[in-house]
Amino acid sequence: MSSPPSASASSSPPPCPKKMITLRSSDGATFEIEETAALQSKTLENMIHENCASTLIPVPNITGEVLARVVEFCSKHAEAGVDDESLGAWDEEFVAVDHTTLFDYIRAANFLEIPTLLDLGCQTVADMIKGKTPDEIKKTFKITTACTPEEEEEVRGENQWAFE
Amino acid sequence: MAEWSQMPEDLLRLIARRLGTQFDVLRFRSVCSSWRSSVAPSPGPSRRGRSLILPNDGISDAALGFHLSKSTIFLLGVARSRDQDAPAGWLLKVKEDVRRRMNLLNPLSRSPIAPLPEDFPRVLDLMDLRLLELGHEYVLQYMSYPPCGNDGHLYLEKVVFLCSDDGNDFALLTIHVSGKLAMLKSGQKRWSVIRDMPSPYDDVILFKGEFYAVDGTGRTVLVGLDLGVTLVAESNFGGDKKFLVESVGELLLVDMYLSLDVETDHDGVVTELAENFDYITRERTVRFKVYKLDREEKVWNEVKDLGDRVLFLGDDCTFSASAADLRACKGNCIFFSDNWELEGPLKGPGIGVYDMDSGKIGPLEDYAGYSELFWPPPDWIASTTSEVQNQLEALAV
Repeated sequence: MSSPPSASASSSPPPCPKKMITLRSSDGATFEIEETAALQSKTLENMIHENCASTLIPVPNITGEVLARVVEFCSKHAEAGVDDESLGAWDEEFVAVDHTTLFDYIRAANFLEIPTLLDLGCQTVADMIKGKTPDEIKKTFKITTACTPEEEEEVRGENQWAFE
Repeated sequence: MAEWSQMPEDLLRLIARRLGTQFDVLRFRSVCSSWRSSVAPSPGPSRRGRSLILPNDGISDAALGFHLSKSTIFLLGVARSRDQDAPAGWLLKVKEDVRRRMNLLNPLSRSPIAPLPEDFPRVLDLMDLRLLELGHEYVLQYMSYPPCGNDGHLYLEKVVFLCSDDGNDFALLTIHVSGKLAMLKSGQKRWSVIRDMPSPYDDVILFKGEFYAVDGTGRTVLVGLDLGVTLVAESNFGGDKKFLVESVGELLLVDMYLSLDVETDHDGVVTELAENFDYITRERTVRFKVYKLDREEKVWNEVKDLGDRVLFLGDDCTFSASAADLRACKGNCIFFSDNWELEGPLKGPGIGVYDMDSGKIGPLEDYAGYSELFWPPPDWIASTTSEVQNQLEALAV
């Protein structure tokens, strides 16, 4: 179309249908995700460029339950016209989950190389740690392993103040 | 099942990096072996910032140099328990000395709390106490010859300190007596005075890794390490002294309004002292206004309600906390070092409180329960240490 652009009519070509990618989790569940949303993941971006023909991408490390949420996250973050404040509030809701789910989010974000989700997950965990005693941290994250006796000695010394 | 102790080191490191304070990193490293080995300890106080000796050329004469000392403000509290109503927290400022002993200081001024009371614990076990690191304070002390330890006079202007991640480079910013800004970087032999000064500067702060300064008119600038000055907010005039405070990741401007007052007794009669001595006519703080920064428009916009936040304005540092964490006062108020009150519960100038809701201003003593935050130390401090002492006694043969 070489007609000069007019004020009322658009001269751009008709929008192409959104390309959908299908992801398959470790337990065989499949999820559809828009390509633009999938590009939030560097891992998926590489796979999309490598397998140009196929639109089914296996994601062996992540279960269906977690993958569904990751897809939700990427889709939300790829949405146009969402202001920072609403996105922030949505993110807060997204990570208001138990520590096990948070653990899964971080592992998934790391494997799929989704910087925004990784940042969000890690910051949420850091916020859960801030100000807590070592025992409280262990309880929160159900950590039962301990330090070696030598480390325990160091820890005891570091966690005390000697006054005059 | 989530095995947090099995989390890969690089992910643990990402989490630790977001903790924000040295003390939280210490706690992170106290959890278990894998967490401990994933993160290096924060540079200890025996490195940069404590035994640092600096030149004073360029900003003052007649001394060998400065000794830089660092102290940290903490809010201590008991670990949360479902059963009990948590008592008020304890706000303190500690400085580690050469012998790795902690010295206590008035959180809002330079006065040391010494000697410590008889029943004050010799060793305080922090394992079961919640600690929030609220801020750091840096003070320059003149070094004289022969060295006389803590007797060195203090350089009276506020100083802020920035250190590189590896601890090898640092920069200091202060306000020179002339009202101009002065900076010293590691390796330099002389402070550099920054010429830019339409109005004398009132306060400096390290905010999100960068230096900011505000002058008496409210004009605020970002000070680069290259000594360049960039306007961040236009003057807003208003009160008599400006402070910069960080609260929940935001930079706030606090404007202090003073009025010249003659000391009177309760009936308004000028006291005998005031009749005889001129210096009793002092400046009294009457109110504060708080502003939030609008970076785009480069203006300060007034904030009437701080919500849960409480601001603290000390002589050498400012910090903030949430009323929910303090558990001693309501939010939306400002604690400040009050020169009007010559004696407070702690050594040194008194502490004043300004209630943003009512506009009421007065000494700490006027607010029931608020002084619990400062002194004397709460009951639960004694009980943590007596357990340690009992154990020590039990172990002694």
